[in-house]
Amino acid sequence: MTRLHAVLLLALVFSCLVLVQTSYDSRRLFDETTRARDELARLDAEAQRLEAERQAQATHLRVEKVARDKLAMRTVTPAVTHFVVDQAASGVAR
Amino acid sequence: MITLKRRSSSAVSARSLAYASSPLLASKTPPWRSRFLVVMVALGFLGLLSRAAYVQIVGADFYLAQGERRFVHTYDVPASRGRIVDRNGLILATSVATSTVYLNLKLFRATPAQRRELVRLLDIPTRELDERLASKGLQEVVLKRQLSDGTWREIRTLGIKGLRAEPGYTRSYPEGEAAAHVVGFTDMRERGQEGVELAFEKDLEGRDGLRGIVRDGVGRTVDDYVEAINPEHGREIQLSIDTKVQFFAYQRVRDAVVEHKAKAGSAVVIDVVTGEVLALANYPSFHPSQRNKLTQEQLGDAARNRALTDTFEPGSVIKPFVAAWALETGRVLPHTMMTTASFSVGGRPIRDTHPRESMTVAEIIQRSSNIGAAKLAMQIPPAELWQLYSDVGFGQRPQIEFPVAGSGRLRHFKNWKPVDQSRLAFGYGLSTSLLQIARAYTVFARDGEVVPITMLRHEQPAAGVRVLSPQVAREVRKMLQMATETGGTATRAQALGYSVGGKTGTAHAQEGGEYAGNKHRAWFVGMAPMTNPRVVVAVMIDQPTQGGHFGGDVAAPVFSQVVQQTLRLLNVPPDIEVKRQIMAQAVDGTGGRR
Repeated sequence: MTRLHAVLLLALVFSCLVLVQTSYDSRRLFDETTRARDELARLDAEAQRLEAERQAQATHLRVEKVARDKLAMRTVTPAVTHFVVDQAASGVAR
Repeated sequence: MITLKRRSSSAVSARSLAYASSPLLASKTPPWRSRFLVVMVALGFLGLLSRAAYVQIVGADFYLAQGERRFVHTYDVPASRGRIVDRNGLILATSVATSTVYLNLKLFRATPAQRRELVRLLDIPTRELDERLASKGLQEVVLKRQLSDGTWREIRTLGIKGLRAEPGYTRSYPEGEAAAHVVGFTDMRERGQEGVELAFEKDLEGRDGLRGIVRDGVGRTVDDYVEAINPEHGREIQLSIDTKVQFFAYQRVRDAVVEHKAKAGSAVVIDVVTGEVLALANYPSFHPSQRNKLTQEQLGDAARNRALTDTFEPGSVIKPFVAAWALETGRVLPHTMMTTASFSVGGRPIRDTHPRESMTVAEIIQRSSNIGAAKLAMQIPPAELWQLYSDVGFGQRPQIEFPVAGSGRLRHFKNWKPVDQSRLAFGYGLSTSLLQIARAYTVFARDGEVVPITMLRHEQPAAGVRVLSPQVAREVRKMLQMATETGGTATRAQALGYSVGGKTGTAHAQEGGEYAGNKHRAWFVGMAPMTNPRVVVAVMIDQPTQGGHFGGDVAAPVFSQVVQQTLRLLNVPPDIEVKRQIMAQAVDGTGGRR
């Protein structure tokens, strides 16, 4: 009986230690998850800002101005466009 | 002996408690002492129980609140406002995370080097920082609004005391002034004020979430206190606008306004098949993110969506409707000859710019004859003409997803006098917006059906409402094409590679209730390609003062450029021969020439 009690006592102490460790791990992991979530939100916001900035740097207004002024390009007209027909898409057989 | 011992011990116990059997260890403690201790311990326990009961029952709310204050933190999780994108997914408006930086006047501590760096990062003059620091009677002042998160992180590394930031969002408009009137703008609290931002406020606005967390002694988040409510971000709105078409339309209108020293200009491009508005451009315009640089008056003028809100007498662009109804009801045929000598109605003469003795119905449209149009209108009963104008949308608010759209004015036919009816034939006595005119012209482009228009992407062909027979619509289309060919009023509307058709309009502007002799509005409304129209483009230039004032001189060239680029962007192949300026040779799949 005494031996059984000793074993149970040891098991109880071990269980308590595991509980404390698990509880500690749980809190640590929760904190890490929260930080990761916050980082995700921050990166999402950053990505959105960068996307908007990228588009603002490449507006048609700006591209057209640079193409015309710096690269001496001109607007495409049908006279300098070669139109091709996607035969697979249009179903035209030749 | 034993008996004596027992007797003597019982006699001792009457006076004190014996803690040992050995007489040597016998301690003679008075009984009241132990009783006193028992009572004291009992009182101690009672005190603890009472305190526990007080803490747990009576003061439970207070102590719970105190505990929560120390470990539980509740905060809003901001939801971002929905994006507005064009038909190809390009951003027209989006929310970006920014910070508002506050300066605590009592706690602010910074070395001269830190100040210099702070001013550089905030992009403000040193004088402004000094002014803020000299503020009287305040504990905290705003140092900078709408600062990017990255910059705020850099400022934090400086280690300046007395600065803090509040996170928030700011609306960004990458397309700037080109799409400003369509997209609109929001206020400081991100609530829609104009344009699509206002029209779709309910969809775009998000709902903030809520999070309650438990923090430990060192500030780590260790648990959720309550179940988190996730933020509901605003819905994304995809418009029918094509930013490339929008840009071309804006650019051409802007150039025309500058070239002709006009007051303003607008252009509308409608996809005839789906009823989608591909472009809606106005000049003057404004940059939605930089509108604080404008005065209230300047902003009011620049922010007005003239194509939708401003209604004017349309002038000659109305004539094809009169001709169409005369054809529809069999009163005339396209080649019916009509005398077009000057005549008067109600004592008011009607004249032509280039008078002729007679013209066919087709020529009346081609040459934009006021006399011919008035004579056609006088053959039509007022009720029928009124019904036709109503059916194509004049005098009615356009059914479009926009906060403000002018309905124009079309008086009931019972109030018409003969002179009114004659003038209605060439666009005086009624008013329409540019959008209404553009939509009305879909009746010719869609073989007699008026298409419902939309600002939202809608790829499926839209069901139209039949107003004219297909045959009549096609005949009027031929007349409109004639107007852009040699002998017509709008030869400058021709586009390279595409057959076009349309009608010019030049109306006197009103000033103080009278027609101003030297102020005009130049219109051109047309479509292309004429074999199977894909787009309707309407252009209006308000009060051109240089290089002509006729629609054919001022608005038609804008139409030509916009329609040509729009069709190319929509991958519509040219329908008329062009002199090729490139050499192309077919190659086989292996890279060799065939």
